[in-house]
Amino acid sequence: MSDPVVTEGDLAEMVEQVWVSYLDPEGVSPLVVHGDNKQSSEVHSTVSITGSWHGHLVYASSQYAAKKAAAAFLAMEPDEVSQEDISDVLGELANIVGGNVKAMLPTGCFLSLPTVVLAPDTASYYPAAERISGLYGSWEGEPVSISVWQSMKQEASA
Amino acid sequence: MVIDDSRAMRMILKRIVAKLNFEAIEAADGQEALDLLATMTEVPELALIDWNMPNMNGLEFVTKVRAEGRLREMTLVMVTTESEQSQIVRALAAGAHEYVIKPFTEGAMIEKLALLGLVPTGVNS
Amino acid sequence: MTLSAADFAFVSALVRREAAIVLAPGKEYLVEARLIPVARQVGASGVAEFLANLQRRPNAADQRRVIDALTTNETSWFRDREPFTALSDVVLPELARTRGPANRRIRLWSAASSSGQEAYSLAITLQEHLAPGWTYEIVGSDISTEMIKRAELAEYSQVEVNRGLPATQLVQYFERAGAHWRVTPGLRRNVSFKLMNLTAPLPPMPPFDVIFLRNVLIYFDVATKKAVLRNVARLLRPDGWLFLGAAETTIGIDDNYERVAAGRTSAYRVRNAVPVGAARKG
Repeated sequence: MSDPVVTEGDLAEMVEQVWVSYLDPEGVSPLVVHGDNKQSSEVHSTVSITGSWHGHLVYASSQYAAKKAAAAFLAMEPDEVSQEDISDVLGELANIVGGNVKAMLPTGCFLSLPTVVLAPDTASYYPAAERISGLYGSWEGEPVSISVWQSMKQEASA
Repeated sequence: MVIDDSRAMRMILKRIVAKLNFEAIEAADGQEALDLLATMTEVPELALIDWNMPNMNGLEFVTKVRAEGRLREMTLVMVTTESEQSQIVRALAAGAHEYVIKPFTEGAMIEKLALLGLVPTGVNS
Repeated sequence: MTLSAADFAFVSALVRREAAIVLAPGKEYLVEARLIPVARQVGASGVAEFLANLQRRPNAADQRRVIDALTTNETSWFRDREPFTALSDVVLPELARTRGPANRRIRLWSAASSSGQEAYSLAITLQEHLAPGWTYEIVGSDISTEMIKRAELAEYSQVEVNRGLPATQLVQYFERAGAHWRVTPGLRRNVSFKLMNLTAPLPPMPPFDVIFLRNVLIYFDVATKKAVLRNVARLLRPDGWLFLGAAETTIGIDDNYERVAAGRTSAYRVRNAVPVGAARKG
């Protein structure tokens, strides 16, 4: 079977750039990839991709990892961030990684605005899609994963 | 002016431009930004603009601003995940002066603004 | 596995001396984290072994790796801007004035080209400013085969192309390659890369009109600086221009060069060979 259109290596590179830019500018607290695709999450955000390619990009993590990410963006302490801040940052992270994934797909794709769910990510959310690629890791002990789902019916949009 | 539907991203941009002695006015989408601009007597020097936003996206905002003589002096910089070659060309053709792809480091953003002559001497990344 | 005080002191002294970076105590974790990939890259079993080897047998390449790892994460296009502006505003017009119609060719050398950004930045400058009828050739050289490969591949990440490259030039001189951006064949056509050690006798090459030897000399002791400048001078045309890094100079090291003003920066030209009408010492 050939390589998926977005590989784990591609996702790893995108994640590294997001970390260096916003979450870990000093380069001392990276996302350490362990590959456990069964790891659980507590919150997640999704962007959908439509047009020449159909699917989703999902960013999922523990509640605390989401707090830490929000804290990094907002220059606050993790315990100071609000639920709204967490939702906002989760959405933006899905937006950024989703945008980078879209750049690797055939031209003519569109990125939706993000949806954030403050509940665990489960495969049942995407019944008509299959996971084609994923990055599973640990950020200072907290689970963070990024997965790419491809719709099983790749119809051209009307 | 910092125009992005993500408050977190607006915070990042605000912090960066504060280092360049800019005071940032925020808007969550293109329409809100245009409404704010209509009320302002002094036009901002710089606008950092996301592409994908509800109500009015960044490309539409750029097009509208470039059509309005009063706003001619504004430097328009796209800050977005949209990174296809054709998208960048479209934005530049619509009148954006520069384009920053997310994710960007603080150093990269300051360098891009320096290209536009917006960085006071003495500031380094 | 934490960095020993002695190792931290060694690294601190190295980066302070060579790159004017001050590492405050408490930054041991940073040094360690940044040097792990470097140690791996050179095949050492860990940071301690890497630093022990480096202290026992100092070498410029590994010192440079340490410094690069502790300075910015990304190099820049058109680094420091002014030498490239000097190229377009001062050097090219002078060559246009002084060269005959049969000699409308310019050769540039990016010595220590690293991942190629300087060489391609030079190419973009020439594409934009060289008068019609002129051709150019750019040679990039580096001591590392890995860097030469990267430079030849000419692929850069999203984060790298954000750094100092105007968007109009991004879309003109680069094309998408997966998640990366690759320099277009049109721009790559006139750029080639060679493995070279500047401290050793250099392979014979036709002389260059412009040499960029930037942020290389700082890693060497005075004797090596002299040797490198001597080697480089042999490959610089009598009316050629040498550009060094912002904090570097030939003064006190090699009398054969004379510093001249070049736009808002300085360049170095072979003393007594500067043609009439060129900019004098600034």
